[in-house]
Amino acid sequence: MKRLATAVAALAIVLAGCQAKKPEPVVNGPGKEQARKYVIGMSQCNRGEPWRVQMDTDIAEAAKAHQELTVLFKDAQNKAEMQQSHVREFIQQKVDLIIISPKEARPLTKPVEEAMDANIPVIVLDRKVEGDKYTCFIGADNVKIGREAGKYLVEQLGGKGDIVELKGLMTSTPGQERHNGFMEGIAGSQIKIVFDADCQWLEPYAQREMKSALSRFPKIDAVYGHNDPSAHGAYLAARQEGKGREKTIKFIGIDALPHEGVRYVKDGLLTATFQYPTGGREAIATALKIFKGETVEKTITLGTRIFTKDDAETGGKPL
Amino acid sequence: MLASLGQYRGVIALLVVFVLGCVYTPVARDTGLPIFLSLRTQLDILFEYCEYGLLATGMTLVILSGGIDLSVSSVLGFSATLFALLTVGYGWGIPAAVAAVVACGIVAGLINGVLAARFRIQPFVATLAMMTAARGAAKLVSGGIKVQPAAQPWYRLTEDTPAFFRWMTTALPGLGIQPATLLFLACILVMALVVKHTSYGRKLYAIGGNEEAARLAGIPVARVKLQTYALCAAFAALAGIVNCCRQDIGDPEAGFTFELDAIAATVIGGTSLMGGRGGMMFTLIGVLIMAYINKILSLNAVAIDRRMIIQAVIIVVAVLIQRQRRG
Repeated sequence: MKRLATAVAALAIVLAGCQAKKPEPVVNGPGKEQARKYVIGMSQCNRGEPWRVQMDTDIAEAAKAHQELTVLFKDAQNKAEMQQSHVREFIQQKVDLIIISPKEARPLTKPVEEAMDANIPVIVLDRKVEGDKYTCFIGADNVKIGREAGKYLVEQLGGKGDIVELKGLMTSTPGQERHNGFMEGIAGSQIKIVFDADCQWLEPYAQREMKSALSRFPKIDAVYGHNDPSAHGAYLAARQEGKGREKTIKFIGIDALPHEGVRYVKDGLLTATFQYPTGGREAIATALKIFKGETVEKTITLGTRIFTKDDAETGGKPL
Repeated sequence: MLASLGQYRGVIALLVVFVLGCVYTPVARDTGLPIFLSLRTQLDILFEYCEYGLLATGMTLVILSGGIDLSVSSVLGFSATLFALLTVGYGWGIPAAVAAVVACGIVAGLINGVLAARFRIQPFVATLAMMTAARGAAKLVSGGIKVQPAAQPWYRLTEDTPAFFRWMTTALPGLGIQPATLLFLACILVMALVVKHTSYGRKLYAIGGNEEAARLAGIPVARVKLQTYALCAAFAALAGIVNCCRQDIGDPEAGFTFELDAIAATVIGGTSLMGGRGGMMFTLIGVLIMAYINKILSLNAVAIDRRMIIQAVIIVVAVLIQRQRRG
């Protein structure tokens, strides 16, 4: 029995430790109206991806500037059914607003509708839900980003050259759009894609595929990675080859996370990276508008920024 | 009643978890009532865990026989994909699609059983192979995409999924429980009776306790194992159908790593991984413990880092409580 008691005590302490950091949801009783507090529920589909961690960070930082806001962050660990329960829990808790970055459109359409039926506004980030029963969708334009990347390479290579394209997961829409946009961007130039591979966004795969490309083609002018880790993997492959080709090949990537792409550019590993904005800050700005009773646009499309060695320190250049 | 509860040490662990849930509950912001104790939350808890519950039901049979089945998660994914493909893609009726999916599941289970019982491949290895193969099959039949209306030009349904999908996952009026939850409860209760009161159940315990002795006593070991793996996969197929209805989509990646939750629920309940000891009602308690832990952590928005550590601690604590029974 002693062991049981010890175990239970240990458990309680661990749980209590977690409790300590948890922001207390505020009960709005009568007579407490002087400072209206708002609770926002945020359901992230997968914090295993650095870009999504950045989204949460952007939301947290934007919310910190407004004392009346409390954000409850939940992580669905890449499981749509977990995200469904997140939304239902937020509804039960009667949060003032829900921000959701869905894993998948279909499974989350119904829960989001339920929230709207319960008069809780919903801001959808990055990936859409089906239909139009949500308050606001905030997302970036992958086709535009791909096109800008293509135009940049045309300019950098003087309109001709042999390049390698390291694609993201091509069954996903971002992969398809970053490819299609890029093809639009290089259309009409003499740039040739001599080698391409589906690297599923993963650096080790990109490194492996780039090794094949290097051994097959003596002349490669540039590498277009669908994300920064792919471009970085390609750089490492070129450096490991030991012929110094990493100094002549231009590597460009997408996403521009502060600790990832932007750092690679600052360190001179990548020539340029194009930001795929998380929309975290815009989500908080939109939430504040909604709380004030202002009308917000149904769809907010975010712009992109390019980071090169010249302006990486100063936050890049809008495109 | 109390005496019979006494052997279910897991009940203590469940009570401890329940009390923790009551202590650490957020409150609804309008009424100030604790959310954890609301009827809706309590009913949702089982619903959210019923896929794991179905997997754990089958897993308990296999573990009782002294084996293990790693393939349930992939069979779930394959079944979810196939069910969506048959109903949304080919426009089949629900009964035919359910029958076909369960039949495919049973075939996968029979292959597991043949590999483990006839060819004497260790169950861990045999079902590991099936885990890979079934995941591949899921991607193959769907053409590598998620199956949903109008995903392919030839799909019969272009607007919405069959009404059955919503019916399965919406609380029945008056009862407040989803058909999916009822399916899980029915399965585990029936299997509890089967394990306790049929000759199949007694053979299962005998084989798990000492396979050689069971063989010498004239028990058809290979046949019982075949039945067991087939049953386990059939439950995984049902879980796949539930998953498809809940997600409103046939996802070839569905169920990834679910087999670990199913094994954890079984072991936390008190069924021994060595086989021959435990039972279906233990697993029901194990499933409840896992479901409650998850709900409490989710309600409190505990960050993932601490959440994983807490889950690990709770698993160890639950098993320690179990062990006292024999200590």
